[in-house]
Amino acid sequence: MDFVILSLIMLAIGIYGLLTQRHLLKVFVSVELIATAATLNFVMLASSMGRGLGEAFMVLAFSTDTAVSGVILALLVIVSRKYGTSDIGALVKMEEEEKADEEKGED
Amino acid sequence: MIFELLSAGLIISACLAIFFDEAVYSVAALAGVFMFTALLYLVNGAIYVAIFQFAVGVGTLAVLFLSGEMLSEKPKQKTSLGSTLTVLVAGALLSLAPILLSIPISTPSGSDVSFGEALWDLRAMDVVLQGLVIMTVAIGIAIVLYDRKNGGK
Repeated sequence: MDFVILSLIMLAIGIYGLLTQRHLLKVFVSVELIATAATLNFVMLASSMGRGLGEAFMVLAFSTDTAVSGVILALLVIVSRKYGTSDIGALVKMEEEEKADEEKGED
Repeated sequence: MIFELLSAGLIISACLAIFFDEAVYSVAALAGVFMFTALLYLVNGAIYVAIFQFAVGVGTLAVLFLSGEMLSEKPKQKTSLGSTLTVLVAGALLSLAPILLSIPISTPSGSDVSFGEALWDLRAMDVVLQGLVIMTVAIGIAIVLYDRKNGGK
């Protein structure tokens, strides 16, 4: 049993989700999985060695991660409301169309 | 034994969080990931981190459920039971790796500060400032929700 391999597998699952998912919220869930894998590795290593400093740093990392999550989710909701979709492919297509319209307007 | 069960639950929950098409189910599976992670910390003796992970997980999931409800569109096809079972089996197979394999880690010698000392004597300013940041985010979310309740955009 080893927590390094466990966190590696979690990291692999997160990266797989990041590469394959199209929904903005699912991408965010994948990022959360990657963050969980990283903190799992550090916390388990620190606690198995009896190091309080490692655990204290990870508690601070948790709070930063939560604040960042709140900001990212707010941005996701704004984008989703503005464009009416949460699909990354559709958002990229819309951006390309907007650019093409702007170029036509300049000509 | 409990360590192996928790790690298997963690990996299966992570697989399901990626697999489910509907955002709300995906967030529910992520709740499982947070819960199993907190239990793993608890079993390994990192009690404060486990409590913090639990508290932070509850907060994150509450916001995620709200935005999941706001952002989710109905999936075109329902997730079949067969494919869900396939993911469960894949997760169970993946969880065999951390149970069977092991990487030896050498423990360095030397004294270290305790969790309480590290948190309050060394990083007290960080803790207070980050608490302030989290409180600001919570107030911001409350203002947005209040505005939404009163019919604002």
